[in-house]
Amino acid sequence: MNVRSGWRRLTRPTRVVAAIGALLLAMVILAAVFAPLLAEHPPNRTSGAPYLRPSAEHWLGTDDLGRDLWAQLVHGARVSLTVGLAAAVIATVVGTTVALVAGYRGGLIDAVLMRITDLVLSLPFLVLVLVFATFFGRGTTVTIVLIAGVLWARPARLLRSQVLKVRELDHVVSAATMGATTPRILARHVLPRLAPLLSSQFVRAASVAVVVQSGVAFLGLGDPGRVSWGATLFFANNASAILTDAWRWWIVPPGVALCVLIVGLAFVGYAVEEWADPRLRTGGPRPGVRRRLDPEPPRPAAEEARLEIRGLTVRYGAGPDPVTAVDDIDLVVGRGRVLGVVGESGSGKSSLVLAVTGMLRPPGQVVKGQIMMGDTDLRRLGREGLTRRRGRDLALVPQAAMGLLDPTVPVHDQVAESARLVRERRPAAARATEVLDLVGIPTARHRAFPHELSGGMRQRVVIAMAIANDPVLLIADEPTTGLDVVTEAAILRLLQRLRDDLDLDVLLISHDLPLVTAIADDLAIMYGGRIVERGAVAAILDHPEHPYTRTLLQAFPPLDGPRRLPQPIPGDAPDLALVGAGCPFAGRCPEVVDVCREQHPDLLGRDEHRVACHVESVS
Amino acid sequence: MTEASNEPLLELSGVNVRFGGRRSEGDVQALRDLDLTIRPGERLAIVGRSGVGKSTVARVAFGLVAPTAGQVRVGGVDLASRSRAQLRGTRRRMHLIFQDPYQSLHPGMSVLDAVSEPLAIAGTDRAQRTERALAALEEVGLFPVAEMAGRYPGALSGGQRQRVAIARALVARPELIIADEPTSMLDASIRAVIVRLLLHVQEKFNAAVLFITHDLALARHMGDSIAVMHDGRIVEQRPSEELIADPAHPATEELLTAARFARSRA
Amino acid sequence: MRRSLRLAAQYVLVVVAAFVLNFGLPRLAPGDPADYLAPPDSAGVLTEDERRDILSRYELDGSTGEQFGAYVRNLGRGDLGVSIRTGEPVRDVVLDRLGWTLLLVGTAVVLATAIGVTLGFAGGWRRGSKRDIGLLTTVLAVDALPAFFVGLMLLLVFSVELDWFPVYGAISPGELGSWAAMRDAATRLVLPVATLTLAGAGSTFLVARSAMVTELQEDYVFMARAKGLTERAVRRHARRNALLPVSTAALLGFSTLISAATVVESIFSYPGLGSLAFDSVVARDYPVLQAVFVLLALIAIAANLLNDLLYPVFDPRVRAAGSAA
Repeated sequence: MNVRSGWRRLTRPTRVVAAIGALLLAMVILAAVFAPLLAEHPPNRTSGAPYLRPSAEHWLGTDDLGRDLWAQLVHGARVSLTVGLAAAVIATVVGTTVALVAGYRGGLIDAVLMRITDLVLSLPFLVLVLVFATFFGRGTTVTIVLIAGVLWARPARLLRSQVLKVRELDHVVSAATMGATTPRILARHVLPRLAPLLSSQFVRAASVAVVVQSGVAFLGLGDPGRVSWGATLFFANNASAILTDAWRWWIVPPGVALCVLIVGLAFVGYAVEEWADPRLRTGGPRPGVRRRLDPEPPRPAAEEARLEIRGLTVRYGAGPDPVTAVDDIDLVVGRGRVLGVVGESGSGKSSLVLAVTGMLRPPGQVVKGQIMMGDTDLRRLGREGLTRRRGRDLALVPQAAMGLLDPTVPVHDQVAESARLVRERRPAAARATEVLDLVGIPTARHRAFPHELSGGMRQRVVIAMAIANDPVLLIADEPTTGLDVVTEAAILRLLQRLRDDLDLDVLLISHDLPLVTAIADDLAIMYGGRIVERGAVAAILDHPEHPYTRTLLQAFPPLDGPRRLPQPIPGDAPDLALVGAGCPFAGRCPEVVDVCREQHPDLLGRDEHRVACHVESVS
Repeated sequence: MTEASNEPLLELSGVNVRFGGRRSEGDVQALRDLDLTIRPGERLAIVGRSGVGKSTVARVAFGLVAPTAGQVRVGGVDLASRSRAQLRGTRRRMHLIFQDPYQSLHPGMSVLDAVSEPLAIAGTDRAQRTERALAALEEVGLFPVAEMAGRYPGALSGGQRQRVAIARALVARPELIIADEPTSMLDASIRAVIVRLLLHVQEKFNAAVLFITHDLALARHMGDSIAVMHDGRIVEQRPSEELIADPAHPATEELLTAARFARSRA
Repeated sequence: MRRSLRLAAQYVLVVVAAFVLNFGLPRLAPGDPADYLAPPDSAGVLTEDERRDILSRYELDGSTGEQFGAYVRNLGRGDLGVSIRTGEPVRDVVLDRLGWTLLLVGTAVVLATAIGVTLGFAGGWRRGSKRDIGLLTTVLAVDALPAFFVGLMLLLVFSVELDWFPVYGAISPGELGSWAAMRDAATRLVLPVATLTLAGAGSTFLVARSAMVTELQEDYVFMARAKGLTERAVRRHARRNALLPVSTAALLGFSTLISAATVVESIFSYPGLGSLAFDSVVARDYPVLQAVFVLLALIAIAANLLNDLLYPVFDPRVRAAGSAA
């Protein structure tokens, strides 16, 4: 990964911080390198009368022994940088070695090394260095070794837990299964993944080393033969410079110099951490949502429908090339019916869910369309209004069931929290018990924490939260992801039962066409942000018209009947940024003709079956 | 079956695996007295619910997890009796394909390096490595090959990544391919491609395949026979068609009923 | 149960290691511990008899094994020897200072945690906003400053220039225990506590902010929004989970602040263990120095232990693992 792309990955404020940090560091480095040129007096020998005020001869005056303070200032940079760099290198190398050995080998070696690390970590750092310094002398080399001797423990601890995670990664295990030697695995697969943490820990170690060195010197226990900022401050403090105005040129300059170095390191370290942190890519400020509404007044949903979507269009990003994830979609969920929306990655089905539930976050944006529930356009409600609808008459069962529950709260309380939106505390608790029973959680498990429940149980709890406030519409977005077939079937049956018992409309979103058809009444097939075919399940299954629907059905091998290997669809899922004017499936379609690439087909046919295809039409 | 000897390639006998109970309710018994044999060129699918120990079988076969009791033999030799160096040699006779295409490739390794890694480990020289890797990329249909070879996994889709994984298997020329849910995170249209490529590799080297899945329909097409796992054991192992038509064990029946419900109309 | 046993074993090990280290350090160092107590170049001053007398008084005349035995016996009796500087029993000297250090560091830890957590959560909640970045850079800068320099500057501004606080010491000589004396002590506590709080709040802020950012990406936060909770209720969920790493950081921060206290106490001539350590180093008062070291180590270890004991209370996942065996 080169530095340029790394730089671009940083947000603008972070770049400013990084630049300031680099600038501060550069100042100190330049001072250290050119110290003899910058100061004409020796830093360590008397070159004038003691206690001189600043003058043309002595820019910062002299100390109690008549030594030039300006010279001490620029020469002091050398000690700080040497100690910081050397201690950080030693500490990082030792820490990394310990982490790799302990983390990858595990077992007894790990236990012993980590106990030692904990011991070093729990001992008071500075006191330890002081004690050591007392017994082992005060030379700079000794200081470096001492500081590194306590400093390695922190990177060792952090890197080791990183190693524990990395060694379970598939590509690391994969290297082992291919017969790679341990050194090769560590060097090629483990170490590169530690690099980000390693670099930020290195910067941090350098900064701590500088602080500790100056602290030791400030206490008068530093290398007596070397000039350092801490030592200058020690002499200043001893001479009570603080009580005279000498502090202005005696205390402040070395103190500020220290701060410049340390703040520089901290800023650079922060930038390194941000650069290494993958969360950055999803983070960033949330700009205010601009809502553009259609001039057309909302028309209430059709009589038999409680949710009707008209012309919904969702875009990501503004500017020259926004990506249209959902393109002018019409959908109706019939009363008491299950509408299955089927689409693979890149079809726009997730954006559709987010848009309907008002959970779309910038840069995603609904740019057009109406989302009618009864006679309200959900788009017009605004964020507050939508939050009020969500969890009441509009309920969402989101994807990725495993982490949907707060790990620190018993599930009953989490369901009660939902019920509480429209009830007092006591009735809410009673309601929680009721819906947990309804979705089939045994009473004994109501007080369980999420991690104590199986994946299927947890998904039932999520469904219980969704139905707690008697919604009229339930949107289930891939509700069985990650569950095995048996649990999957059970959850589908549960949804079916709830639809019947509670008079729910259900919008079921999935990539699995056969699965959806198991409980859906109506079907909409999405591809490249558009609906390519829709209608009653039976009509579509009996006569799939769109080439995509047909190939998709062939892609699932049959369980019974003659063996038929799944048929591949040539090409890859569509890149939404590249979908042009024509049919989104044109690039992979076996029946493509010229017009498909130029003109977008309309969704034609009767209500029970419509298809958007230039070649096929509903007979 | 070819002229290859009919000695078992992989043989697990009475294998028990118990994981220390640091997580939750005490110890976890992942495998109980498991017996399993795969001969050269054989295609076996293992099916079962989550947590029955399917993936542990793969890990045990590669010696990544040592059985607490029982024996694992590869080519007739007990893994427990092998030195670390010998174990590495044994591992090279097999190849493991992972479920998650987003994790099985090192994000900092180019496609070329990833595909040629088995050869690098074996010590093949660079020119030959590159040649064979490029040929494999072509075979799995990653075009244009030269451009794909220089890409990093971050610039590939899930399907493309899984093709890279198959290309690596081609380069490794294994006697046994163990595929652990290799398609469960892919879209159906891509799944078909990967399944066919996998069969292509199998036929090309007459390799044995151990296909781990929870999808019975897929298992039926990938395996000549199917082994059903339940609670750390294989409870039923029979030719695919026979097992699906006439399940004997309740666990098999449960899987079949659920699978039939989920595709009751399609 | 198994967890507590393992914990207990670990901590016994750590404490033993600290004691052994304490015993071994002076003996590992170049030269003989006797040289420190009675330097050979003092031969002109000390007669050979006097030197032997000193050595036997500090039980340094036996073999290493015998010395260690004596060390352990004395520890068991709570006898830490006699201060070279003042001749008082080390135990009394050290215990006298312990309360002051606990007061100083304890107050600072509480304040630093409160401030760090409040600001860190606020920043993490609106990650990347102007306020967050402003807060973050300020904290990064303040956190980076060496405690002794911050202390010096506070002293300079508030005591010397503004004359709001006394320059030195925790209590003025005179009557103890009175209301006025307590007020006096509190006044003198202000600057050292402020210095230590500034030194400690930064790392808590960073941990809290990062924990908040991490939690906000979790699926349960999405779920909380999906089920119609207000942003306030959503934040409550995130906060509860983000507190887990923060509580660990706060207790481990104890050990960092104890280090910083060494310097800070010296600057403010505050009569705690830190300044005692410093004075002992300068006066080469080894018995006291060693006792201080062990005591500070024990405090830090106790903080770690507290963290290990409290963590399961906050995190049900760990709790379950512990109670199962």
